[in-house]
Amino acid sequence: MNDFRDPSGGGASPIARLVDAFHRLPGIGPKIAQRLAYHVLRAPEEEARDLAEALMEVKRSVVLCARCQNVTAENPCRICSDKGRERTIICVVEEPLDVVAIERTGGFHGLYHVLHGVISPADGVGPEDLKIAELLARIRDVDRDVTEVIVATNPNLEGEATSMYLGRLLRPLGIRVTRLARGLPAGADLEYADDVTLGRALEFRQEV
Amino acid sequence: MSGRAPRVTKTEAIVIRQRRLGDADRIVTLLTPLRGKVDVVAKGVLRSKSRLAGHLEPLTHVEIVLAHGRSLDVVTQAQAVESFPALRGDLDRLSAALYLAELADRFTVEHADATGLFALLHAALVRLDRGDGQQVVTRMYELALLEATGFRPEWTRCLGCGVEVPADEARWSPLEGGVIGVECGARYPGALPIDATALRVLRAYQSLPYEEAGRVRLTDDLAARLEQIMHSLMRAVAERELKSAAFVSAARHARVAEETATAGLDEIRDDECAEAED
Repeated sequence: MNDFRDPSGGGASPIARLVDAFHRLPGIGPKIAQRLAYHVLRAPEEEARDLAEALMEVKRSVVLCARCQNVTAENPCRICSDKGRERTIICVVEEPLDVVAIERTGGFHGLYHVLHGVISPADGVGPEDLKIAELLARIRDVDRDVTEVIVATNPNLEGEATSMYLGRLLRPLGIRVTRLARGLPAGADLEYADDVTLGRALEFRQEV
Repeated sequence: MSGRAPRVTKTEAIVIRQRRLGDADRIVTLLTPLRGKVDVVAKGVLRSKSRLAGHLEPLTHVEIVLAHGRSLDVVTQAQAVESFPALRGDLDRLSAALYLAELADRFTVEHADATGLFALLHAALVRLDRGDGQQVVTRMYELALLEATGFRPEWTRCLGCGVEVPADEARWSPLEGGVIGVECGARYPGALPIDATALRVLRAYQSLPYEEAGRVRLTDDLAARLEQIMHSLMRAVAERELKSAAFVSAARHARVAEETATAGLDEIRDDECAEAED
């Protein structure tokens, strides 16, 4: 893909290697990869070192929280060790970024659990590939005060399959299992809504 | 413009799977009647305001308009015809439907007529959605799919000598796709024992139309044995593990465990009993 072969013919040049490395990142096409590589090349050495160190630091120090399985530099993570959080309710999400999204709402004060994926047999992901065993063990052994689990997986087929499966596993433990409400997104257009979404929006309608 | 191939195609399709492409797009795998399995790009469907996203969920029957792209076609319009909501709300039926979709994915080729396979998958989804027995729908689909793709299993005559095998003397081989009699046993050292009742049910399923096959009564235990036989056969033909088959079993185990636990709680707490049955 790149046009930066070493003129001496000795394999890929350092620039080509950097362009390739950027290109492998999600959402980065060949042009942006080239632009980023040249930016680094022109930038002061200190800036380049900062970037390199930040990359290495994140690989060295970030681990999974033993309780909630979120990515963290401290174990247990800040949320799990925060005494101010409600300890009777756990919100189960697919990915670490979903924790960020829910925290941004400021409307949830309980604990989290990150599954690191969602049941998707078509992609070869089954329940045993997710952090489900860790969730059950945690509720049984550590967070014994939990009375409710909110399943905040995405409202798509895989997310629904995962939430129903978790419901079957958690209800026998005497836990109330709930699901995020579904319906129309803010700014949507009814004309283009699919039947399932519109049906759910009607089903879960609210008093004005 | 004259003489050029048309730039858009309109077709019906069943969405059999999706995978992420970049930040907001997805590659959607469709089963279409005339073009078989087709991968298409759905742009922007991961954004919350996407007008296409809800119509392109797996296990949806859609009317779709595709614009021809350089490598993959691009979805320009999609309208769900049937989204099978009842099937989506029940884990057992949903896991069965995911299994059917994975089979459709494995057993069809790209860009070839698949009218028969489309009709089979569509009929099976309609039946699961309206609440027909999950076992009979799945088993009849598997057998019909094997037949349509040239892998019809031989449940009656011995693969070695062609003589009819009594059900209680039969062994079988998933790799060879059929039963083996006592006489030929030595020639098939890998052959496995097969439950006689399960074999009789499979023979009946293979010869009966769907409506009559549905009248065969199955105990939970027999259903589990049938499932095990058919899962190993499908795995052998597909030449790979079928993750969705394992999920069908995992979902059932979780249901049995929940029912057992609920029954246990009933004995302890009468109050909660009424609520659980509701």
